Amino acid sequence: MDPGPVRYTIRIDGHLGATMLSAFPALTPRRCGGHTVLTGLLDQSALYGVLAEIEALGLNLLEVRQHTPQRESPPPGDGRSP
Amino acid sequence: MQGGPVTVAPATLRLIDRGDLLAALDRAAARKVTIISAPAGSGKTSLIRAWTDRPGGPHQLAVVPVQRDQHDTQLFWLALLDAVRRATGAAGDAEPAAATPEFNARAMVDRVLSELGDARGDLTLVIEDLHELASPGALAQLTRLLTNLPPGVHAVVSTRHDLRLRLHRLRLAGELSEIRASELRFCERETRELLDAAGIALSEAGAAVLHQRTEGWAAGLRLAVLSLAGHPDPERFVAEFSGSERTVAEYLLAEMLDRQRGDVQRLLLRTCLLDRVNGELADLLTGRPGSERILLDLEDANAFVVSLDPERTWFRYHHLFADLLRLELRRRRPKEVPELHRRAAGWFIEHGQVVDAIQHTQAAADWPGAARLLADHSFSLTLGGQEQTMQSLVRAFPPGADHPELALVRAMGDLSQGHLDEAAAHLAVAENYAETAPPDCRRRLRVAIAALKLRLARRRGHLAGVIEQVKFLDSPLTGQSDEDITLGSDLRAVALLNLGTAKAWSGLPDAERHLREGAVLAREICRPYLEVHCLAQLGFASKVRPFATTRRRCLEAIALADRHGWGAEPVIAPALISLSGALVFTGEFDEAERWLQRTEQALQTDTGPDIRLLLHMVGGMLHACRGRHQHALEEFSAAEQLRSQLEGPPATASQVAGWLVATQARLGRPGEARALLAALDDERAGSGEIRNACAVICLAEGDPAGALGAARDVLDGTVPVIGYVTVAEAELLVGLAHRELGDQRAASQAAERALALAEPDRLVLPFAMTGSRELLETLPRHETAHAALRTEILDIIHGSPATERDRSSPPPVEELSPGELRVLRYLPTNLARVEIASELSVSRNTVSTHIRSIYAKLGVRDRSSAVRRARSLRLLSAGRTR
Repeated sequence: MDPGPVRYTIRIDGHLGATMLSAFPALTPRRCGGHTVLTGLLDQSALYGVLAEIEALGLNLLEVRQHTPQRESPPPGDGRSP
Repeated sequence: MQGGPVTVAPATLRLIDRGDLLAALDRAAARKVTIISAPAGSGKTSLIRAWTDRPGGPHQLAVVPVQRDQHDTQLFWLALLDAVRRATGAAGDAEPAAATPEFNARAMVDRVLSELGDARGDLTLVIEDLHELASPGALAQLTRLLTNLPPGVHAVVSTRHDLRLRLHRLRLAGELSEIRASELRFCERETRELLDAAGIALSEAGAAVLHQRTEGWAAGLRLAVLSLAGHPDPERFVAEFSGSERTVAEYLLAEMLDRQRGDVQRLLLRTCLLDRVNGELADLLTGRPGSERILLDLEDANAFVVSLDPERTWFRYHHLFADLLRLELRRRRPKEVPELHRRAAGWFIEHGQVVDAIQHTQAAADWPGAARLLADHSFSLTLGGQEQTMQSLVRAFPPGADHPELALVRAMGDLSQGHLDEAAAHLAVAENYAETAPPDCRRRLRVAIAALKLRLARRRGHLAGVIEQVKFLDSPLTGQSDEDITLGSDLRAVALLNLGTAKAWSGLPDAERHLREGAVLAREICRPYLEVHCLAQLGFASKVRPFATTRRRCLEAIALADRHGWGAEPVIAPALISLSGALVFTGEFDEAERWLQRTEQALQTDTGPDIRLLLHMVGGMLHACRGRHQHALEEFSAAEQLRSQLEGPPATASQVAGWLVATQARLGRPGEARALLAALDDERAGSGEIRNACAVICLAEGDPAGALGAARDVLDGTVPVIGYVTVAEAELLVGLAHRELGDQRAASQAAERALALAEPDRLVLPFAMTGSRELLETLPRHETAHAALRTEILDIIHGSPATERDRSSPPPVEELSPGELRVLRYLPTNLARVEIASELSVSRNTVSTHIRSIYAKLGVRDRSSAVRRARSLRLLSAGRTR
């Protein structure tokens, strides 16, 4: 059941430069300490596409989190960490 | 950009010997299956290379790298089979495995397992990059392979992530081992050794920092070494690297690229879009000569370039490296990307590599061009067995975009799976488009469409449609290029195949000539798939011949298919089912059942009504002969149902209907039988087969006089019959009716006439199907000239060859087994043992074993006395011709 595009944040180890970021045109990058956080609206198949890209580029995936705006606050454990 | 060397001298940059890791793999590989599961760039491939190349490594080795994004599971399996055959040295004995339009993965796994089982000594099967295999079905079949490996065979599988292989059983049995990323990571000592081996002077502290920053990640270390080689200040390099927060791969790739000479950079960036590259193609893309030398140097420097062939003409980049380079290219020169794809496509099409050309045209986002290329080459791609690849190319088009050319390709996929209505719908779209297409490609489109319509008409049994398309295709093609000439021969062979098949289906005599010509032509133009197809249909077309001829032709076709690895695929199904049918006619039911099962296996991917009709018909014959009327009814009903999906009924249509009706009657339901009769069209209702069915109904209704009347129509020739089988059946029904009427003498005479008809070709089926056991049993031995056949038929009906033996003749010391009896029947012929073996499709050894055993049991020493003794024991009929 794909509920349609939802906002995700994806945390990757290290700073992604312009070359790496060009692999994720649909996502907005932000630096956060030694990590890069990518944010954007993704449906399930786009999410898996992004995850495959992260794998293909040998990046170190730290966290994937889904934001559910319908709820007042995301309950604990809602973040999907691998 | 610096003017440094292309790379460092090859000798200084060898893979270091990671002894601990090799020992770990040694331990792991002692189990049946080893999975190396670790992310990109972890050094999986290098580990496997080092392990297999080292002295004392596995001596029989089959390596299968899964191609990038492999959707075509058939190509994967063929590569695997070829690798195994090369490893076992079996490759010399057989034709190389080739692709077919239809493909049965299950049968392929059986084949691979059987090749592995034939391996002498230990064999290691290595499957690299399994994560690229984009098919759940293929993983399921692979699971079956991995869990059933023969003794002495080990598998090593590398993948970037854990896959859905269901290997619990192996795990529980302690036969599964895993090597994961943590074990692949370089330790500090190994990092040091790697630097030393490359001749890089770096302080102890610098090496430690480099190790820490890369976390021992193999690709990172290799990139670092490439950058550090010849670097004026390695310490500064490491310090800057560790001060950066950039990801390891990106930082080091940029550094490494910048350290390369301009022409090397240019080559890397401009050829990274290709899955494989050679010097000529690289020259074309870079616009400069000398690329081959650079590629060779890069491989020697272990710089993420690997040659694909022993001659080192084709190369590929390490996947991670290529992905990074592609990003770099897109960022630095985005406008060049489509042009590079276009140039590559042009080169590939010039060199006949159509699939690569289409993929690059798609990558250049030239969708109309890609659709045109695909449609243009769809005919030869199908004949070359690239069906699955074509369908995955179709799926690569953006959804929603309407390319009418693609309807043609979709129709082909439908036809291969027997989805005839869908195929017709797609063909209609393709035809509409062809009329509006530019003139230069209209002709080719029309040809492709005609070839498909031909195939569709044939599969529907629509002879007139077949002839119409053949006439169209027969008109000479306008062009004179080589391609047109090849297309001409291909088309002619395809036309002969379809015409012959359609004529055979309709029972026309020149079917065999067309098919034989088609097979010869296919052989001449090196289209083995077409040749096997023609021969398989020739087996089917032989059904009016003596059964021995049908059997021989079918076995020949099956042998050729087996040599190509198509022995369990739809293409050979007509021969498999015809062989099974011939065996039912001659009463060899167990053997028939075996071939019937093999036909079912071969038809897994083909649900076409034409071939399935034959499958159900033979299944019904077999059940009916064994007295399992309920099962027979189901099979005949299924066959009859499929007939309604065909435009042209097969020549045997009235036979199926007749047996269906008769089976209802034998099940004690004459009412239902009569209802079926009433629903038949006039043509079939007036056939001899249906008159026989009427006789069966009358007998079931207790009206033997009515039965006599119906069967006599067949015997006096007032109704058309398919063949003498119908006449023999009518004689038996007459005999049964006379028995009911109490006229034993007339019954015996009818039985004797049926035996006389059956004798030349050793026909058994009608006796078994009509339940004529008592009729034969009450036929006095001295009143028949066919005593041996009578005994043989009774033995078959009883299901045991020994029970009806004449008690007055001296019994043999020991009863012959069914296998021995089968061989015995060939002893009166001139056939040598090896020929008997091929007739029975068993090995020569089996035949020799049986013959030894026959001699022993009959108490004889040679073939001629065995025949004499067998005759006197009535194990052989008197003067049968085979």
